[in-house]
Amino acid sequence: MSERPGIRATVRREYRRMAAEPIYALLLVILPLVAFGVLWAIFWQGVPRELPVAVLDRDHTALSRQLVRMIDASPTMRVAFTVADETEGERLIREGRAYALVTIPVDFERAIRRGEAAPVICHHNAQLLLPASLIRRDLRGVVGTLSAGAELKRLQGGGTPRGVAMARIEPIRMERHTLFNPELSYLSYLLAALLPTMLQVFILVAAVQALGSELKDGTAADWLATAGGRTWKALTGKLLLTTVHFSLMGLAMVAVLFRELGLPLAGSFGAIIGATLLFVLAVEAVGIALVAWLANLRFATSAAAFLSGPAFAFSGITFPVAAMPLAAQTWSALIPLTHYLRVMVDQAMRGAPLAVSSLPLAALAAFVLLLPVASLGRLRRVATDERFWGRL
Amino acid sequence: MKGFGRAFADELRAVRGDRGALLVLVGAVLIYALFYPLPYLPEVLKEVPAVVVDADHSALSRQLVRMLDTHELIAVRHEVPTLAEAEALVRAGRAGGILAIPLDFERTIRRGGSATVGVYTDAAYFLVYRQALTGFAEAIGTLSAGIEIRRLEATGLSPAQARARRDPVPLLMRPLFNPAEGYASYIVPSVLVLILQQTLLIGIGLLAGTASERREETALASPLAGTLGRAAFYLSLYAIHTLLYFGAVVRLFGFPNYGRPATLAAFALPFLLAVIFLGLAASHLFHRRETAIQALLFTSLPAVFLAGFSWPPEAVPAWLHRVALLLPSTPGMAGFLRLDQMGATLSEVRGEWMTLWVLAIAYFLLAWLVAAHPRTARPGGPESRASEAAPGQ
Repeated sequence: MSERPGIRATVRREYRRMAAEPIYALLLVILPLVAFGVLWAIFWQGVPRELPVAVLDRDHTALSRQLVRMIDASPTMRVAFTVADETEGERLIREGRAYALVTIPVDFERAIRRGEAAPVICHHNAQLLLPASLIRRDLRGVVGTLSAGAELKRLQGGGTPRGVAMARIEPIRMERHTLFNPELSYLSYLLAALLPTMLQVFILVAAVQALGSELKDGTAADWLATAGGRTWKALTGKLLLTTVHFSLMGLAMVAVLFRELGLPLAGSFGAIIGATLLFVLAVEAVGIALVAWLANLRFATSAAAFLSGPAFAFSGITFPVAAMPLAAQTWSALIPLTHYLRVMVDQAMRGAPLAVSSLPLAALAAFVLLLPVASLGRLRRVATDERFWGRL
Repeated sequence: MKGFGRAFADELRAVRGDRGALLVLVGAVLIYALFYPLPYLPEVLKEVPAVVVDADHSALSRQLVRMLDTHELIAVRHEVPTLAEAEALVRAGRAGGILAIPLDFERTIRRGGSATVGVYTDAAYFLVYRQALTGFAEAIGTLSAGIEIRRLEATGLSPAQARARRDPVPLLMRPLFNPAEGYASYIVPSVLVLILQQTLLIGIGLLAGTASERREETALASPLAGTLGRAAFYLSLYAIHTLLYFGAVVRLFGFPNYGRPATLAAFALPFLLAVIFLGLAASHLFHRRETAIQALLFTSLPAVFLAGFSWPPEAVPAWLHRVALLLPSTPGMAGFLRLDQMGATLSEVRGEWMTLWVLAIAYFLLAWLVAAHPRTARPGGPESRASEAAPGQ
């Protein structure tokens, strides 16, 4: 049975290959769903709460016990340990069982009664940045409340001279406003970046597998022949199904992010949809270039891992691109994810004007247009020259 | 133990003769260690660009702007007349925060009153948000505290009394470990441990997949001696890598390194054994040369966030945290971080150390079992190689 060669025949041929080889079900469906699911489960709870801290109360008075209760009642902290000295507290931190040690000094209550300052000390594990910053924020709030509280005024006898009371008015108050992402949800923030990071892995690995296996198995000539000898038709037919598949997955991801995970939508939804579709094509274009120029499935897969594995670190989500060394900025620009996430943040969270997103959108389009054009001739050569087949 | 020496030598020959395996087991170990830290090398994000809307134009408002600009976390880059223009700059990504000083700022304060300044920070990027907010709060707090203390002194209090009256319970922050909160110091040491695990698993899986493709006999003369011999080869190779990472790479980038060599070695032993035996046990799952690279790539990012250094394990569902302990990287990253970056003793990481020994023994038994039951050669060409099983985590 011979079909008329062309794109349609190539699509049919690709469908048969994918149905015959379980690796495609694994790379296209099973692993992506598991990876998405695990990431969602990790951040399911949103902001970390009830982080264990140790308390060293050297005062043992009503006031010091009140401070301990206030710490325990804060959303971020849980007083998991009461220790007898600093050594014990610091050991708990090194053992990973407590994130901080709060020390209340001797004569805490008495000093305050006398109108002297009684500092509270917080030893915390700054190696673990996120718990450290959450604990610092909440502890500042707790101690600030205590420090400004009526309890202290009562202790100090209430008889604050009028002049002192007037002067105690805080001269400059800071009114905090949070622009964008007002709930500061880690769930929506991190997943909005991590799910696309994983999507880039899925697309790149699948594209390299689909193209590279033709060279490895020595079936590239048959593939080209099915497309009637035209490389662009062969490429279109080969990647059509996975493109549709990953476009749908990308759109489903966008739907989950905005509808289920509460990602704000301040800007243009159209730009986000457009960027998602361009992103799928851009990553496939990278896959085409890798297989064409490396002409080796294993080597191209290694290169895909090198590109997409550390991509999150270079994306600017955790550490801004503008603050990176020039070499890292350059590398970051060569990864489609960087540009996609920029559109995502600017449009979803900031509601930036479209002009701001035109540059990253153009960068994605450049991947889609330039890489296949630069790789088509080379791909044809390696697909027709037997010396490039079966290379390990 | 004749089988032991032969398996060691065979494995060495297999790796030496395979460019793909060499790239993963030697090349990637070196390349990733130098490449991954690149974006984080500046360590601390400073000089977040800020925009000022000063409606007061007084000496005091200018003093506040100057204090903000000299703060290491903030650089005042723009001054615009309206809040709308300032917000547009943030929206366009040209500034990370806004300071809005109201009209009559100085006059209100001179009269002994309280003036409110507005601070607007860009929360679209968390690190920018945190640094900007810290910078704003510290600059404003410093100026405000100075004025307040002067006012209290004017009522006849001594400077010490004035300070105590202003803030009876000051909170002193004493960061232990990584006090500058360097970003590379925070992320890279743990990721290095993950690189050791992933390259080992990929390398072992790649060789197994290749042997399967060539339908080579994977049966060992003696399953026990053979398994131990192969493991001994990878252990020797990765002992060198571990020494390189903890001895040279960590120092090269100036990360905190308090770990004593003997302690690190004692912890590295069960970690490497657990990874190697996991790799050998899982190798039956890979029937193609490239499958291990593909499958392990999917696990890297979840493994990072399950390891506990970037996302607290208390915030991960308990069942998922228990499942994650099956990956040697989970106890491995936690233990190495505390030993080398926090100066813990071996007894202070005994939980992780014991977990790794349990994993090493369990995966050894599994690897032995797998070696004793070599896979049956499957007939047919590429089209009928259809038993690609899901690789394990």
